[in-house]
Amino acid sequence: MVKKKEFLILFLLLLFAGFFIYIYVYIKQTQEEIFTRIENNKIQEISYIFHNIEKNIIEENNINTTNDLISLLSTQKIRKEYEQHISLISTPSIKYVYLLVKDERGRFRYLLDASQTDKANFFEKFDVDNKKYNDIYITKEKQVIRQKNIENLFLTFLYPIKSNGKVIAILSADITTKIRNTVLELIKPLEMFFVILIIFIFLIMIILVMQIFYYILTRKKIFTDPLTQIFNRNYLNEIYPTINLRNYSVAMLDLDKFKIINDTYGHKTGDGILYQSTQVIKNSIRDNDILIRYGGEEFLLFINSRSNDKYTLDVCQRILENIYNHTFSVEDNDIHMSVSIGLHKTPHLEKNLHEALKIADKMLYVAKSQGRNRVIEYNDTPKKENTEKSIDINFVKDAISENRVVCYYQPIYDFRNHIILKYEALVRIIDTQNNIIPPYQFLDLVKQTNVHYKLTQRILSIIFNKFKNNNDKVSININFSDLINKDIMKKIIDSLKEDHNLASRITFEILKSDEIQDIELFKEKIKQLHSVGTKVSIDDFGSGYSNFRTILDIEANFLKIDGSLIKNIDKNEKDFKVVKSIIHFAKESNMQTIAEYVHSKDVYDKLKELELDYMQGYYISEPKEDLQAQNNLFA
Amino acid sequence: MKHIFFLILLNIILTASDINLHKVKILETIMQEVTLKTQKLIWSDNQDLLYKLKDGKKLNIVNNCESANLIIIENSNILKECKNKKIFVLKYDLLAEIKTSFGALFWKKGRPNIIILEPRINQQSIKIKDKLNPYLEDRIW
Repeated sequence: MVKKKEFLILFLLLLFAGFFIYIYVYIKQTQEEIFTRIENNKIQEISYIFHNIEKNIIEENNINTTNDLISLLSTQKIRKEYEQHISLISTPSIKYVYLLVKDERGRFRYLLDASQTDKANFFEKFDVDNKKYNDIYITKEKQVIRQKNIENLFLTFLYPIKSNGKVIAILSADITTKIRNTVLELIKPLEMFFVILIIFIFLIMIILVMQIFYYILTRKKIFTDPLTQIFNRNYLNEIYPTINLRNYSVAMLDLDKFKIINDTYGHKTGDGILYQSTQVIKNSIRDNDILIRYGGEEFLLFINSRSNDKYTLDVCQRILENIYNHTFSVEDNDIHMSVSIGLHKTPHLEKNLHEALKIADKMLYVAKSQGRNRVIEYNDTPKKENTEKSIDINFVKDAISENRVVCYYQPIYDFRNHIILKYEALVRIIDTQNNIIPPYQFLDLVKQTNVHYKLTQRILSIIFNKFKNNNDKVSININFSDLINKDIMKKIIDSLKEDHNLASRITFEILKSDEIQDIELFKEKIKQLHSVGTKVSIDDFGSGYSNFRTILDIEANFLKIDGSLIKNIDKNEKDFKVVKSIIHFAKESNMQTIAEYVHSKDVYDKLKELELDYMQGYYISEPKEDLQAQNNLFA
Repeated sequence: MKHIFFLILLNIILTASDINLHKVKILETIMQEVTLKTQKLIWSDNQDLLYKLKDGKKLNIVNNCESANLIIIENSNILKECKNKKIFVLKYDLLAEIKTSFGALFWKKGRPNIIILEPRINQQSIKIKDKLNPYLEDRIW
């Protein structure tokens, strides 16, 4: 894509070139016109003189035939006299003036020659090279011959000497190129100016074309990712203002667990995987789809969906399968990969591309959190559309400042004693239209930002206030990054160190233990939590990477088994065995176990077969704004 | 710039050599139309013309006057030994000056003219083909 500006300049130059060529041609035509006018003028002038000479020779000497004329001019004295007459019209521009006759053999001969140079003898033969010499005897009209091959001659004027209506001789005048040259010299500077101008414009055009060529080359470099040879993020910025989102679906693709590949096999292998993955993706899409390396192992795909809506999902499934089935052979390692895809089929409904990408990214996050290697399509109902469209970091900031952050509470159920052990506090935001926005829609947006820490502080305040004056227990989800934030830790310590009662009823559920980089620091922070009398629970145990040693070291009170292991436990024997092992490990380590994602009676019944301590899930009770009473469970 | 200068120079050279080239071509044609009793061996006192005729390879050109039987000259001071050769001149006046010359090719008023003197070719047993008939003259005017 060459910018319009370059094309406009090129077009203008072409226009100028065309204009100057036209002027040049016009000058040439004018030049010809001048020549013609000079020619006509000169011929007119000579014609009058020749007419007088004709009159003089024919009438004064009573000439009737060619022979009469030859015999008259055979006398040298008379010849001299007439040659003197006609020599009067000799000028620098009229070089030769002579009288010709045609003899009985049809050859032309000089009768008079008034030329100053190259003078011919009387009756000397004159070889003609133009049929106009003979034509004049038939047409009896003046003839003009434009000379091209005779040096220094511009044209020859032939005047018929007539007697009794017959042509008996020809008066001829050779006009030199002197006039022509004078005209040419006069016009030459102007002509030269236009020639130089045209050459100059053509040179500029060549330079411009070269510039455009280099511009295209440079553009290609700017917009191409050197590793994968596909478009990079710069290209996204380039197409951002012009892309018609009605023609495209947007998909965010992320290679699963790519960090582990990089850490295990090294960056060279990682690069190899990235390159091969790109090839697999490219082979799974069409030419009119746009693939962009969005960053790291993340790709952005614009799927041209104008012709076939079904194609969009098909292409995502195809990418998923092709990546999954491909064996990545890099540096003697055969590696298998998977990809998670977040798909937004109607990006044009969003405020702009940025919003559409955010939603696709959110779907990608959902795909990741649901176990990876899947496509999650954004199903937007009109209501959702209105709410989610406006979700960004400012949405969260506004919610904090306008007190629209709330907590919902889901009971954690002691199924053996049929009592509620405690409640898990789950954050929600009420948007400006009173819709309840779940955390997966905004938490990732503020992750690692100051807004996240403010949000955590707000949640802590809400929970501490709610549970300060009752005897219920509560679990609070917290990230490692929150724990190492000085303000948050200060708030926890300051709020709980004087209120042992409250502290003893609080359990901090540590989220995503696989993100913990500094184990020692983590242990220290957990120790601080223990020191004020709170309990600690490990969240999502069993998913991803779990460091058993660290879990044992921090002396957690609870172990919450990841929902992905629970949700199909009634059908999946492997999950059952894993959960059984986790429970065994927890018992051995003095930890109580909680199963989350208990969504059906079958799951509930199956879990009862295990030595599990507590359960939590929609089957028991969904999260509510108020704390649920025991008799409202299993409703 | 060098290229433009070269093109201008080339144009000048070509223009200047036009007449010479024309002359060579006409002479080749005339000489091909002239027949002697023996094979024509041609020489010219104009070295440039001699080379060009040689290059043309249409005529048998020899390097000296003595070896030739037909000479094309533009100066009257020819060797004594060559005076009895068949002589074709390149100036009209030489036709009168060199009494044995049988024809001429000359430029008058920028135009080429050919004259073949009929009495002299008959006298010297020179035959010409029909193509040259329009140029036959009985005498020098």
